Amino acid sequence: MLKIKNIEAFYGKVQVLRHVTMHVLAGEIVSLIGANGAGKTTLLNVISGIHPAANGSRVFQDQEIKGLSPEKIVALGLVQVPETDKVFPSLSVVENLELGAYLRRLDEQRRRQEMDEVFALFPLLRHRQKQPAGTLSGGERQMLALGKALMARPSLLMLDEPSLGLAPNVVAEIFKTIQALPAKGSTILLVEQNAWEALRICQRAYVLEVGRVILSGSGQELLHNEEVKRAFLGKDYRGKWER
Amino acid sequence: MPIMQPRIESMNRRDLQDLQMERLQIVVNQAYAHVDFYRRKFDEAGLSPDDIKTLTDIRKLPFTTRQDLMDNYPYGLFAVPLRDVVCLQFPSGLYGNPIVIGYTQEDLRIWREMVARIMVGVGITEHDVIQVAFNYGLFLGAMRFNQSAELIGAAVVPTSITSAEIQLRIMQDFRSTVLASTPSFALHIVETRQKRRIPRANLSLRIGLLGAEPWPEEVRQIIEAELGLRAYDIYGVLELVEPGVAGECPARQGLHINEDHFLAEIIDPVSGENLPEGEEGELVLTTLTNAAYPLLRYRTSDLTALYYDPCPCGRTLVRMARVFKRTDQMITVRGINVFPEKIREVLALFPEVETDYTLQVKRKKGMNDQLQLLVAPAQAVTHKETKKKENLEEEMQMALRRAIGLRIEVKLTEKGERKEAR
Repeated sequence: MLKIKNIEAFYGKVQVLRHVTMHVLAGEIVSLIGANGAGKTTLLNVISGIHPAANGSRVFQDQEIKGLSPEKIVALGLVQVPETDKVFPSLSVVENLELGAYLRRLDEQRRRQEMDEVFALFPLLRHRQKQPAGTLSGGERQMLALGKALMARPSLLMLDEPSLGLAPNVVAEIFKTIQALPAKGSTILLVEQNAWEALRICQRAYVLEVGRVILSGSGQELLHNEEVKRAFLGKDYRGKWER
Repeated sequence: MPIMQPRIESMNRRDLQDLQMERLQIVVNQAYAHVDFYRRKFDEAGLSPDDIKTLTDIRKLPFTTRQDLMDNYPYGLFAVPLRDVVCLQFPSGLYGNPIVIGYTQEDLRIWREMVARIMVGVGITEHDVIQVAFNYGLFLGAMRFNQSAELIGAAVVPTSITSAEIQLRIMQDFRSTVLASTPSFALHIVETRQKRRIPRANLSLRIGLLGAEPWPEEVRQIIEAELGLRAYDIYGVLELVEPGVAGECPARQGLHINEDHFLAEIIDPVSGENLPEGEEGELVLTTLTNAAYPLLRYRTSDLTALYYDPCPCGRTLVRMARVFKRTDQMITVRGINVFPEKIREVLALFPEVETDYTLQVKRKKGMNDQLQLLVAPAQAVTHKETKKKENLEEEMQMALRRAIGLRIEVKLTEKGERKEAR
């Protein structure tokens, strides 16, 4: 579904991505984990066309998307939920959701129907339909952001830190919803600080370290990897050559 | 014939190369970050992992040799902490300068899968009874047949190297349908069957999975005709995985390399230059998924050629020609590798003899069968001391057996009688 090859990206003179190569297959949840500053968010921004890539290719559903504007990329079905500023605080919940479907020009009935599907996924939002998004709690705002993205009917949904700043019970709720999305036709590329959850719910994962892909494998496999445990799960081994 | 993982084995080559590149970036990053040996090699060559952007960029890197593996014993080439290692193997034994290779759980899972692929590829199913007549003690890859058979659901009869008579009895009692062994042992079973006059119809064999030594087509024909099976070649590299690197398919137009796990090159063994498709040279392999023991551009010393054109079996994985020759002086006798330096190490333990020697190879049906070692005494052993001479021969024979795992007949020559050492 998505194949990126040799992506390099810079902030000024600082290189943040070093020929990153990876792929996402249809129907998968693929997680991208790494420490702060590893380049995870930049990678998502490069894929969605927000941040320029110096080199490399990005192929989405057999089409090279390098050089396409972010709007064109969204129209192709590749939608990103950013880490911050993901909803419009002065607009109501319904208006935010409508904006999500803006590029699709749906008729009223169809829009209502799809909005109902979002409310079925996030029942809390149904009771806040008219409320400005700015007055929602952090968890509700995250749900709204997900709902808004789903209104664009993405074939690939890229989520940037959906658990950031949320209470543990809300985090569990969000991850449960994410896990259900592939069955509804969306493929997921998930960027997460919460490595344990991200590895637990994904099929495959990549580990980024200072702009490089240093590991990949199934979520289960990486959960048991000593390097991952040490770097992200807060566990230590005594010495390299001790068991 | 079925293909176990068509999504990989029949992948279009462009996608396969993309997958190889994705994995190569990780191997290179890991090797550079965690293996001092490789970091040094990169630095010396003025390279960083960022310079490996395409599959052909790997050619910028220096080779890894068997000597490097010995020099970095025990953990010098390990890329993961020991906590992640679940299996250690000593491919050339523990004697002298050993090599130790580590595998993580995932490495072993992949290995089992690679062997299972080859098994499914030649038509082995859950209905088969696989008689594994490899030497479990000396050839650690033998165990992989058991584990991969389990994956497929086939039954395993691990007869190891019990006598050919017993092998034949077991074949009949359990109606073994697959024989996994060295070709020389299969030949030995053939001879025993003829001697004991066991009718071919008493055997239920249909597939032979043979490897661990070179075997000519004539031997294949004899084994097939006499045991009533179709024999396939299976290939491995002791220092990576053996068996499992490659295997023949029913088309038998070479052995398909498991390219999702290995990147293959052919080089001129003298100049080190890469050779084009179809030209014979030394096989060089880079591991793409070995987590514990990544090897970049490992020189296998095996001479072969690569063919990328489509195979009638439907697999797109590159085919390598069957291996008959080596670039070094290692010889394989009945599936056991004999390195000249190992013999030298043993001879060094006996001050009574010189360390130069002649190794005579007796061949059977074009394959190495028996070894005789001729070595000169350091001081003249007089006729009065014949008993001592015999004792010495016996002692050396035992020492060689311990070190190499093979009976090598030792003969003390008179001074000056020694021929040129090979």
